[in-house]
Amino acid sequence: MCIPDKNIYKPHLATIDAIVDETHDVRTLRLVFQDEAVRDSFTFRSGQFAEYSAFGAGEATFCIASSPTRTGHIECCFRGTGRVTEALRRLEVGDTVGVRGPYGNAFPIEEFYGRNLVFVAGGIALPPLRTLIVNCLDQRDRFGDITIVYGARAESDLVYKNELAQWQERCDVRLVKTVDPGGNSPEWDGQVGFVPTILEQAAPGAENTVALVCGPPIMIKFTLPVLEKLGFNDDQIYTTLENRMKCGLGKCGRCNVGNVYVCKDGPVFTAGEVKAMPQEF
Amino acid sequence: MPKTITIQNLHALLDRLIAVGTRVVGPRESGSMTLYEPLASGAELSLRDLPRRSAKEAFFPICESILSYSRVAGKTTVSDPDLSQLPPTLLVGARPCDTAAAPVLDAVFSWDYKDEFYLERRNRTTVLGLACTRCDDACFCTALGGAPDARAGSDLFLSPLSDGSFTLEALTEKGEEFLGAASDLLRSGSAAAPVPLAAPALPPFDLAKIKGWLDGHFEDPLWAEIAERCAGCGACAFLCPACHCFDIVDEGSESKGERRKYWDACGFSKFTLHASTHNPRDGQPARYRNRIMHKFKYYDDKFGQTLCTGCGRCVRACPVGIDIAAVLDEINNK
Repeated sequence: MCIPDKNIYKPHLATIDAIVDETHDVRTLRLVFQDEAVRDSFTFRSGQFAEYSAFGAGEATFCIASSPTRTGHIECCFRGTGRVTEALRRLEVGDTVGVRGPYGNAFPIEEFYGRNLVFVAGGIALPPLRTLIVNCLDQRDRFGDITIVYGARAESDLVYKNELAQWQERCDVRLVKTVDPGGNSPEWDGQVGFVPTILEQAAPGAENTVALVCGPPIMIKFTLPVLEKLGFNDDQIYTTLENRMKCGLGKCGRCNVGNVYVCKDGPVFTAGEVKAMPQEF
Repeated sequence: MPKTITIQNLHALLDRLIAVGTRVVGPRESGSMTLYEPLASGAELSLRDLPRRSAKEAFFPICESILSYSRVAGKTTVSDPDLSQLPPTLLVGARPCDTAAAPVLDAVFSWDYKDEFYLERRNRTTVLGLACTRCDDACFCTALGGAPDARAGSDLFLSPLSDGSFTLEALTEKGEEFLGAASDLLRSGSAAAPVPLAAPALPPFDLAKIKGWLDGHFEDPLWAEIAERCAGCGACAFLCPACHCFDIVDEGSESKGERRKYWDACGFSKFTLHASTHNPRDGQPARYRNRIMHKFKYYDDKFGQTLCTGCGRCVRACPVGIDIAAVLDEINNK
């Protein structure tokens, strides 16, 4: 939460504090709120999203990709692919962006205490889970085994390469990284295969475990049956839906899946909740 | 004894309001059409035809600034539009199918987060409704539980009398206040008979039945049958008194400009398009299904009402002849 403004569409101003090029077209911006009162009062939970603006180009919706355990800044991670994201990518350290949020629900992290966690992500969909991964690693002793299955089309499409290397080094995290067939170089030290297949081979146990899945619709479609086969029931699986949004406030009318508004009722849903929705996402 | 007002005194009343800076919006002849527009004088009021566009623009303009931004010497500042400068507004001659949409829009813009842009305009507006005495084949308010003399959303209500005058009744505190300030232009009672109300032909739908069918038929051949031919022009949404989807767009340069809300439409092909090029509503049948579902199921699920007042504007305007009343009739008869 943050200080409420009468104008619900007015963003806070934030300065780009650091830029990381995750891939040739995916970029992380680390943002520091300019107003001290906002900096002190802005809190969020892993899973929530915000509206980020490049003034003159407009707003785009991304999750808050940093962890609430890392205070003083927030991060967003996006692919430059349209008017707003290209404009955000043209900005440099020291430039100003607008940030509205945090919006939406969050992963119920307290319910995960004492349980094993399996993160399954594909491509640019790691950032919505990375907030939670870092959050859990920052309070590592609260959780059981942590498995991360992450894949992309090719090595060059993997985001957060620095953190993947760190996670790989840790003895209390099992990182299974993979690229699609043909996407690997001779030096590739991970798996080769699609995420659902690699997940099935990794075969994390379902008992006392929560699975957190985020990826393109096709990956989700083939991952859910694998999890089911591994013994996960629908209430043990969480995902975060990414629909096009404008307001983020339940007004502008475009992010709904059936009568569910992703911006207000989500973006985090259990597999059971997703299955109950019309198949329109 | 009900108050009555002659057409001349109604014009005089509007002139008096315009003179003190009230924005008076009402039906006026504009080219070949009748439109709700700001009136320069009371005599411009034209109560004969249903305006081509709905009255929602009085509270929800097609385009409005929600902030301005500027960057000077590397420092960005953002400022709010000054809503305190919005003029008090009288929406006069609004048809019941238009006024009925106001409470429906209120629910959207005031649940949870409050949209001050809509709510300030709404608060500053007094709604003077007008009973409908003429209708056409596209009108179907009565099929949806509305009526040509329904008061929902009006602060005051005008009912035409056979001598050309009107009864004028106040329905809300705002309406009472208005009536008090106009007392010198009113008379008590009239011997004239009321002009017969319009009588749309379509019999009432069983809305619970329609809702029940929609609950179970997200997947149905009906959607393609109706909407394969939809051109995706969005005219239905732009003319609708209850449609309220909007876009947020920056207009200007990187260093100076405005952020604005614009009307949008779920029939547009890019409305739900993802950055990845995936589109959850791929094709007009899926988009038209959303239109019907939103109006008669999703909105009902959330707010307990329908998002359609039966004004018929979308029916009159659709370039490919899609008729929402016929669609509802088909579902009603399933």
